[in-house]
Order: sequence, then structure tokens, then C-alpha cells
Amino acid sequence: MVDTDEDIAWVEQSREGDHVAFEALIRKHQQMVHALTFRMTGSLADCQDLAQETFVRAYRQLDAYQGTAKFSSWLYRIAVNSCLDWRRQEQRRQRLHQDWGESLDSLITDTDGVREGEEGSREVQAALLKLPAKQRAAIVLTVYGGQNHAEAAKSLGCSETTVSWRIFSARRKLKKLLNQKEGRYE
Amino acid sequence: MNDSELEKKLKAVRGPALTADYQEAFTRRVLSNLRSAPPTAMPLRCSRRPRLAWGIAFAAGVLLACVAGHWHLRKAADPDVLADAKLIQETLAMFPHRVRAIVRDERGIELVLSDGEDVPASPPIYVRICDGEKCASVVTFSGQEIQIAGRELTVLAEAGGGIILEGNQLAWSSSGGGASNRGLKIQAKLVETTLRPTL
Repeated sequence: MVDTDEDIAWVEQSREGDHVAFEALIRKHQQMVHALTFRMTGSLADCQDLAQETFVRAYRQLDAYQGTAKFSSWLYRIAVNSCLDWRRQEQRRQRLHQDWGESLDSLITDTDGVREGEEGSREVQAALLKLPAKQRAAIVLTVYGGQNHAEAAKSLGCSETTVSWRIFSARRKLKKLLNQKEGRYE
Repeated sequence: MNDSELEKKLKAVRGPALTADYQEAFTRRVLSNLRSAPPTAMPLRCSRRPRLAWGIAFAAGVLLACVAGHWHLRKAADPDVLADAKLIQETLAMFPHRVRAIVRDERGIELVLSDGEDVPASPPIYVRICDGEKCASVVTFSGQEIQIAGRELTVLAEAGGGIILEGNQLAWSSSGGGASNRGLKIQAKLVETTLRPTL
């Protein structure tokens, strides 16, 4: 998705309290935010809650958006941090682990008009969810968010070296998990 | 599996498909949520969740008590308490992985805490900026965005121990000075502490 001047205009109008302008931002970016929160949580219900929380947080922090980065990158950053905060809530984490221990079926359950993507992506999504949250966030930001390591470092509030290490570790782990699934061994 | 195969597999993961009805309902839900709470137009430094206010106030109280005690014992000490590694260590130990910054300016000392324990473990960084006689200092961590001396800055640590400050109106490096530091006197260094373990 390409940021346009209209994003900047909508941000400016939203800062003035114009909800119609913010509505336009939601409509434009909601698919991207849902995709991110889903990749981070693996749960359709939680992905909806977190997508909503992302937009609410974004609206309340609009004054902090300086326009130096793309609006979508800034929104990505808020979404990832919302997901990391969410993960720290012990009860939800336990519930998620239980869900995964029992079945992956929750991934493809219809939830109020939100359906998971193609069946083939489930294994990769499952592998993503087995990564530590911070490694997963680094992968989501760089692979799906198109951010480079420096941008991801800024989004995650850590050094570029740390991000590079997390991505390296995550990729190694993902390869192992997916190879096991395919019956390949290194 | 090589890197390109992994990249291809990752890229193939699709996000959830949103129906038109869902998108409409989602938009309405977010807007309804926003209308029920007034928009905030506070600066970054004040945009923390309200429930943190008590925590911050408490933390600031504790910190001030520590500082007062420290000053009582060390009247002739360094005029900037944030340069005191021991004091910083004690403060960080009280709120592990939650301290985003400790700011000292003309208004006093403020502890900026994160909502959760999500501040990455890294060596604390001390930054002091003087604009004429007016000075402000902060202890924070690489990657954190801070407000100091009326400026929003991102603080970054280089692999070799150097510090970089960047913001809209300022770019400065401990190794090479600043391309646009606008006459400010800036000092930045890693704080010698062993309390924050590596990841």
C-alpha cells in the first residue's frame, strides 16, 4: 500500500477532531492492521480486538506522528506494540497455548466476517506462532511490513543489532519447524 | 530449505479476509469507541495511559526520596544526580524493564514508565543538553524516543559505544559532534552499570 498525500491530509484533519477523516484512514489501513494482528496472535477474535485497539491508540497519539515516516509504518509500529502488550497478559497467553495444544482449528473459524486466508498458509502461521513474540514481531515488521532493520529497530525500541539477531534466530527456527513439517531434516 | 524458499513461504501467508460487512462494522465500532472518549491532544510525554499516573507519581516520589537521601549524604556531589550510576541502578531495579526514561529538567525529576515490562535490556544512556544556562538531562535506552530541552529525540547507541541523537531539529553524534545542534552543548555516554542483563 502506498502512502499518499491524502493520508497526511486525513491525519491533519483528524487532529482537528474530524472523525470522517479518521474514518477514511481506518478504511484504508484496516486490512493491513488486521493482517498484522492476526500474524502476531493467530487468533481471529484477538486480532479484531487488537486491530480496534491499534486505531484507538493511533487516534489518541496522532499528535506524536511527525510525518517523517510513512503513516502506515507508524501504524504498524503501534499495532506491533499493542500485540506485544497483549501477549504479556498472562491469562490470554495461557489460553492461546491451550488453544494451540488442542487444535489449530481456531485459525479457520469464521468470526464475524473475518476468515483466515488460504489453507496452505496455516502451517507457516503455526510456525510463526511458535516463535518468541519479539522474534515474531521482527519478522512481521520486516517481511510483511516492508521495514528495514533500522526501521524495525525503531518500531520495537531496540538496537538494529538486536533486530538483526532476532531475525536471524527466527529464520533459523522457522526453517527447522517447516522442514520438520515437510519431513525434511537438516 | 534455503532463505529464498523461506521468504516465499512467509510471503504466501495471507492475512484474514475481511468481508465488506465486517469492514463497515469495524469502522463504526472504532469510531463509536473514539466518540465515547474525547480525543487527546497532549504532547508525547503526557500521552501515557491515565492509569499510569499513579504509578508514575509513586515512582517519582520514591525517586525523589532517594535523591533527597542521596543529596543529604553527598552535599558536594555531582550537580546532576542522573550522572550517578548507583542511583540509576537502584531506580532501574525498582521497575525492571519498565523505565523508558528518567528526565531531569527545570521542573524536577520525572520517571517515564512503560505500560508493561517491554523495555529491552540494554545499557542505560545518559544524555545532557544545555541551551545556554538552561540544562536538562535524561537517562534512557537505545531506540527510545524522549522529550528533552523542548525537543523530541530518538536516542541510539552505536556498536562501538557511541551515541547518536536524532530529531526534527537536531542531529548529533558523540563521535563527530552535530551537524545541526544549533549551538546546544550536548553530552551523551553509556552509564556504567551491570544491573540490566542482556537478552
